[in-house]
Amino acid sequence: MSGGSDGVLTGLATWTENLSEQAYAYLLLVPAFLVLLLFAFWPLASAIRMSFFADVLTGGQLGEFSGITNYVQLLTNTNALAPAAFVDPSFQTPVLEQALFMTILFAVLSVTGETLLGFLYAMLMKAEYKGRRLVRLLIILPWAIPIVIQGMIFFLLFRPGYGLLTEPLQQLGIFSNLPLNTTFDSFVIVTVADIWKTSAFMALLILAGLESVNQDLYEVADVMGASRWQRFRYITFPLVFPVLMVAMLFRTMGALRVYGIIESTTVGCSTVPSMTCLVTQFMFGSATLYGSAAAVSVLIAIVVGLFIMVYLGFIRRSNQSLGLA
Amino acid sequence: MSIDARNHDDAETFDGSGDGTGDEENKSRIARWADDWIQNPEKAYAVMLVFLGGVLLTTSLFPLYWLFNVSMAPPGQTDIPLLPTTIDLSVFIQVFQQVPFARFMFNSLFYAFTVTVFVLLVGSLAGYAFGRLEFRGKTPLLFSLLVLSFFPPATLFIPLFRAFNQQVPMLGLFTLPVEIYGTPGAVVTPLSAFTMPLAIFILTTFYGQIPDGLEDAARVEGTTRLGALFRVIMPLSAPGVATAGILTFITVYTEFFFSFLMTGNSAAEWAPVVDGVIAFQTQYTVRYDLQAAASLIAIVPVAILVVVAQDKIISGLTQGALKE
Amino acid sequence: MSRVQLTDVTKRYDDVTAVDNMNLDLKDGEFICLVGPSGCGKSTTLETIAGLTKPTSGEILIGDREVTNLPPKDRGIAMVFQNIALFPHMDVYDNISFGLRLRDFPQDEMDERVDEAARVVRMQGMLDRMPSEMSGGQRQRVAIARAIVRDPDVFLMDEPLANLDAKLRVNMRTELQRLHKQLDTTIIYVTHNQAEAMTMSDRIAVLDKGELQQIAPPLTCYNEPANRFVAGFIGSPSMNFADATVGDGTLDANGYSISFDTTAIDGVGTGDAVEFGIRPEDIYLKSNSAEAEDPSRTFSVTTDVLEPMGDEIFVYLKPILGASGEAADFEERQGLLMSVDPSSDISEEEDVEIVIDRARLHLFDDASGDAISHGIVADSEIGTADDGVQAD
Repeated sequence: MSGGSDGVLTGLATWTENLSEQAYAYLLLVPAFLVLLLFAFWPLASAIRMSFFADVLTGGQLGEFSGITNYVQLLTNTNALAPAAFVDPSFQTPVLEQALFMTILFAVLSVTGETLLGFLYAMLMKAEYKGRRLVRLLIILPWAIPIVIQGMIFFLLFRPGYGLLTEPLQQLGIFSNLPLNTTFDSFVIVTVADIWKTSAFMALLILAGLESVNQDLYEVADVMGASRWQRFRYITFPLVFPVLMVAMLFRTMGALRVYGIIESTTVGCSTVPSMTCLVTQFMFGSATLYGSAAAVSVLIAIVVGLFIMVYLGFIRRSNQSLGLA
Repeated sequence: MSIDARNHDDAETFDGSGDGTGDEENKSRIARWADDWIQNPEKAYAVMLVFLGGVLLTTSLFPLYWLFNVSMAPPGQTDIPLLPTTIDLSVFIQVFQQVPFARFMFNSLFYAFTVTVFVLLVGSLAGYAFGRLEFRGKTPLLFSLLVLSFFPPATLFIPLFRAFNQQVPMLGLFTLPVEIYGTPGAVVTPLSAFTMPLAIFILTTFYGQIPDGLEDAARVEGTTRLGALFRVIMPLSAPGVATAGILTFITVYTEFFFSFLMTGNSAAEWAPVVDGVIAFQTQYTVRYDLQAAASLIAIVPVAILVVVAQDKIISGLTQGALKE
Repeated sequence: MSRVQLTDVTKRYDDVTAVDNMNLDLKDGEFICLVGPSGCGKSTTLETIAGLTKPTSGEILIGDREVTNLPPKDRGIAMVFQNIALFPHMDVYDNISFGLRLRDFPQDEMDERVDEAARVVRMQGMLDRMPSEMSGGQRQRVAIARAIVRDPDVFLMDEPLANLDAKLRVNMRTELQRLHKQLDTTIIYVTHNQAEAMTMSDRIAVLDKGELQQIAPPLTCYNEPANRFVAGFIGSPSMNFADATVGDGTLDANGYSISFDTTAIDGVGTGDAVEFGIRPEDIYLKSNSAEAEDPSRTFSVTTDVLEPMGDEIFVYLKPILGASGEAADFEERQGLLMSVDPSSDISEEEDVEIVIDRARLHLFDDASGDAISHGIVADSEIGTADDGVQAD
């Protein structure tokens, strides 16, 4: 180290040490928010702006300023070029074929399943026994599988005629002949595939929360004669709650934006049209409808936002701190 | 391991307590178990956990087994039996012969590694600020991170695509000095931005839990505030850091949308590993066996990472720190 | 070894003033205790000296260096925390050597210093233990070793013994004093325990509501408290107080009237409202009145509750009803508290005669609480006429 740069570094260090708590906090946030500003907030703002301009079918251009026309068309199901209904106020479209309801249903089912399964997995990863390392690895692995491959696995499992699980499920009367082309069947396949893959995400976060619980508390509980359920109810759960909420929050946001798994299982957006399906189809479909795509994105954000408000309200009510509530 | 070795009164050894399920003949043994379990609920709990764990693992692992099965099937066969007819491991070598799969893997590993290191570093600074400092605008800023995740990433594609191609100025202010479309930068930057919010939230939660006294002690001993973060707070938040790291790494490694669209299709053009898997798919034929084998190979680095990083996810790190 | 000076140090949070215009001048090698009830600003004062908190205004000097704006690491200080704050992910050696490693000490010197520090706190041979494997006392020793290993100019100790059990606390107290003698380093020690402060320190700084009340050697604080707060805080059990009026050659509290030469003390005149204070150990049974320096007249009282402590007995006395039928208003309890020799033959609900040591009676200004006088003298003319029963 040369004396010069050393001096500068020391000077810089002293300077930051002398900042007030507030100024120091802002300084620490600068790198993260700079990246976010350039690569997330700015493109987001441009996208929101796009949503107020008319579609131009070709050339990837924006049309005239059109106000909220895109939104109105989407919400009244009058966008002639829409690959599927975002929402159909007349309810002539089946619920599962309306992107809004289909997606919400998917999110509720998959997040519930993933949370329950994730908790069980986490307990399994937490307990101490021989081979725990292996179990931890095996639980996390499904999540490491790229979504395209995951799609392939489930495609091959449910492939009409050949798929290993197609026939038994048909015989049970649960599935139709062409599960990958039937909305209900496909919806089930997509949900199961998502739960299978993403439970590991939940498990990992919950595990991290479980591991940070002060073990002494359990001793206290034991001394007080708490049952296993009481220990869970009064110690584990409240202490894991903040992490659990972070996990559920982000999983819900992810589930409400579901897309990849639908395409990769070859179920396809035409069978199970999620909200994000509409975005990509508008954007990369045969015609490039940037205005409408952006408008759907904003609508998705609003739906997600409403869900998040419910979460935050819940967090606030249960008097747990997450920094947000 | 001595740190967390104590205090686990629920640390029964599960091995062996669950076997003997096939024993039909011994009703009295079952009765004995039942009595034993009623007397000793801990044991019943352990057995239940073993059983449940078995079921869960089977269901979660079945698709992986299935993948192996597919890789063993002859080319072109799509009717995959429950048990592989032949075991021919040469398929795992073919993967590397037919396409430059190693390079595809390298590309994705490069993305994942770069983004993870960057996000953990930058996210730690932010997590420290959010978790341990008081400042004006904390809640709105934290909330803005969430808002970002409200939108489907695809939404951000068009503006970023144009900016990376120097078609529009970033922030409406400046055009990028070089075209970064088709370079690793076009993948790493947006993916860093997308994985950042979750990482910051996780790190905020964990850093916030480290007692102030330890930070003060480190500062008095001679670290700067930042030094205390890296020397004391981060090591003590290892479970959180490891979790955020694993989550970020896997997300980026398996990411498809941006890494596919922001790069070319060939390995030399920085295409991600998923492209490598898809490369076995031509317009007319799909080599499921090779795809499956490639997928299994692609999982290996993640498996190694998980094995290494999971040792950090242990309890009791802050035990013995403070006497409250 | 360094002198520590605080000049007009003030620390304000949003709506609270934690430290108000603090001025302290600590001599090199001095053992100073900052005492006061919780919330008095003693810990904040320590934190400003440590650099963990920056004062809103004022100046801090350590040695000859102004350190007000220096980060903790550059102040030449070491600190022992109430919650011990060992780094749980490091063993004893790493904990002790943490500061040395940060300063890039060569390995052999580091080893030497760590060994020496471990020897001083008697933790040799435990260098590879983890904090979670040690008892509270051992952890505290390691924390102290961590502080002394760097050979700092000033030691800061924030209630280091508060979390230890009683026996250990007394042991550690002695060890700290031994350590101070051995190292001869300036020690600033924060505690809410006045007994700790009395036994260990060269001088005590008594704080209340962010303000310095008195800084003086322990016995001075005890014998000549600067104000009512110090008088009440130092000494256990605490001093008896009562509102009183200065009469014509007497000091009158309801039920108690003591001959008092007002002319001997400046600033008191007949009719003034004052507060008088007397320590339990300065009240005597009549049979022992010879022990008092200047015994007052005898008062007849009835005992209430006894608290035998072994080496003394605390006796709660029932209030004497005054002429107006009201009892003298001793705070919290209605009557006086006195401490008598354990061999005294005394029981509850017994009528006894007591005397008060006039020389040890404290007078405080009723409004400001400032001490007016420590000890009063009997009025030579009126004294005897007034109470006649006086011993002299």
